[in-house]
Amino acid sequence: MFGRRWQFQYKAAPYVLILPFFLSFFLFSFIPLIFSFYTSMTRWNGFEDREFVGLMNFQRLLADQLFWKTLWNSVIIFVLHVPLMLFLALTLAVLLNRPLMRAKGFYRTSIFLPNVINVVAIVFVFSLLFNKQDGLVNTLLLSAGFIQEPIGWLETEFWSRVSVALMVLYRWTGYNMILFLAGLQTIPRELYESAYVDGANGVQAFWRITLPNMRRIFLFCSVLSTIGTFALFTEPYVLTNGGPLYATMTPILYLYQEAFMNLSFGYASAIAVAFFFIMMLLTILQLRVFKD
Amino acid sequence: MKRKIILLVLLALMLIISACSGDGSKSTSNQRTNGEGREKVKIIVWVWDSAKTALDLNMEAFEKEYPHIEVEYQINGTDDVFNKFLVASTSGDAVPDVIAVQSSQLSRLVEVGSLLDITDRVEPYRDKMNAFKWPDTEKDGRIYAMPWDSGPVVMFYRKDIFEQAGLPSEPHEVGELIQTFEDYYEAAKIIKEKTGVYMYSDSQTASNNRFFETIMWQRGLWYFDEEGNVTLNTPEVVEIGEYLKKFMEEGLVYDAEPWSDSWLNGLKDNVATIVGASWFDGVLSGQVAPDYAGKWAVAKMPKWSLDDPYSSANDGGSNMAINKNSKYPEEAWAFVEFMLGRAESQLNMTVDGGLFASYEPIYEDERFQQPSEYFGGQDIRSIFAEAVTEIYPQSYTANFPMANQIMTNAFAKVFLNNVSVEQAFAEAEQEIKDKLIQ
Repeated sequence: MFGRRWQFQYKAAPYVLILPFFLSFFLFSFIPLIFSFYTSMTRWNGFEDREFVGLMNFQRLLADQLFWKTLWNSVIIFVLHVPLMLFLALTLAVLLNRPLMRAKGFYRTSIFLPNVINVVAIVFVFSLLFNKQDGLVNTLLLSAGFIQEPIGWLETEFWSRVSVALMVLYRWTGYNMILFLAGLQTIPRELYESAYVDGANGVQAFWRITLPNMRRIFLFCSVLSTIGTFALFTEPYVLTNGGPLYATMTPILYLYQEAFMNLSFGYASAIAVAFFFIMMLLTILQLRVFKD
Repeated sequence: MKRKIILLVLLALMLIISACSGDGSKSTSNQRTNGEGREKVKIIVWVWDSAKTALDLNMEAFEKEYPHIEVEYQINGTDDVFNKFLVASTSGDAVPDVIAVQSSQLSRLVEVGSLLDITDRVEPYRDKMNAFKWPDTEKDGRIYAMPWDSGPVVMFYRKDIFEQAGLPSEPHEVGELIQTFEDYYEAAKIIKEKTGVYMYSDSQTASNNRFFETIMWQRGLWYFDEEGNVTLNTPEVVEIGEYLKKFMEEGLVYDAEPWSDSWLNGLKDNVATIVGASWFDGVLSGQVAPDYAGKWAVAKMPKWSLDDPYSSANDGGSNMAINKNSKYPEEAWAFVEFMLGRAESQLNMTVDGGLFASYEPIYEDERFQQPSEYFGGQDIRSIFAEAVTEIYPQSYTANFPMANQIMTNAFAKVFLNNVSVEQAFAEAEQEIKDKLIQ
């Protein structure tokens, strides 16, 4: 009964089980990826025949100030929210990990909730809140006397980036908190117990035990946040359409506009390829920084 | 257990395969036969919401005449219809069969070659539509779309606010008072001072440039000349930019992004005028302030200079076109012709649907010339019909959407970075040149 056939099946089963993923990955991710590498070396508007132009698109890309600006925008938006987000997420995770905390499930769910709400709905609410003329935020700030003139939350370069960063912060803090929570729960209790026996206090335990053990989680969150920020699309697209003066334009939004509005599929693919390598570089860099 | 696994794998494979072939099965199911044995055909029409509302007025009559054609509407925002079709047609999709296209975006679709050549079919309608609608439908002498509605520009204004400001408020008086844009500016200052109300609404950094373009059009100026050269950085155009800058800086403009909620809310009580197209009729009476009947009135659009040969402009307006890859071009044309080529259909859509027809024969119709209750009994459609004959005949051109986008940033530079109008326009001109479709 447990003959060769069974053995074969025993060995083959895992591969068969992961096959659907790899098939669809191959069809819908890998082939398009290779295809866009090829397209990046052509001039193509989608209708006419592709014209092979070698590295011309990349040459144009290097000299394209707007492309560099999209990267710079992403850096600023990253700085504006990621440190704060990771700090908040970790603080919340530590609080919600305390054994004596009541109604943990409720808090965890509420904090995670923004992540599962439809982005467009969130953007819609934000655009109502941050509206210059009659938005709630300006109305409150004005009546409390913090500001004299309404702030153009979506109208000036600086504030529009802040608005986008705030929205990302709102959406992703809960998600990172869950990752940190998972990380906290893998740290063995004994470490803390022996530390306390040796006379350490809570703060010391946090710095000496909790943080070092969370290194990998930090790395994971930071890599995800980097890619997520540079690849931001829906938020700036719906909230500001990349404006004002391209201040909230991200590489992916730029790519979309080049491809589907200007029909420059070749150039858009070049952006995609460049984006791929830049993200790879940033990820390697972070792996180095967080290396054990 | 084993069987379950195989079943699961098969199921996953089936999902993948069916996802790949989704399109094929869709198009074959379009075709069915009805009771009489005649081939029943389903055509798919992409439109936006307000256009669908207008088309619905004619659906019953259409179904009676063409019982074998079933029409399925798919609704999207105006820009989404365009963007989605642009992408769908690059991949040779047979769906949709018919699409509604805004005039401002039409030339772009014609240029890339995704629409069906209907030159012979539109022949009987060539002299029935507003003449300025045709150039955007054309390429190399062939025609690719059927004009639907036009957007003759007039000046909508608030009677009560003019009164409060101590200005005359009857349409003919206002027409006398505000003949030029200089008069318009003087009135704006008085209104702001006396009532605190802004003259119009636009954004400093996210304008759609419609006001700017409207003034250009009235003067017979545009982003491009007839040979396609960029003509933004000319003294005449820069002058318009300076004019708008002056308005904004003197606090006469309600700063809100066009079509955002605060802009729509702002139209209700914060602005005294809208120099805008006929379709603001529906926007005001249907969307912004249905309860303000009698407060709004209509006068002619101001001219830049009294000597200008044309006194109005066009803003917007749409067309219908057929997908080059449609499997049912005959049925698609039957639909387009029924909706846009017949007086009865166009009348319904103009009078009850708020879309001012490009189809001229109905302008003399009794149903057309009716006083409008909302506008205090003014026969507004006759005013539109008069304005439509005074529009400088020009087209948007294929590069318009791109130029329009760049213009938004040119104004943002003026207001955010204190760049001079001339410099901002010169930079925008260069940017447009770099991106021209060859």
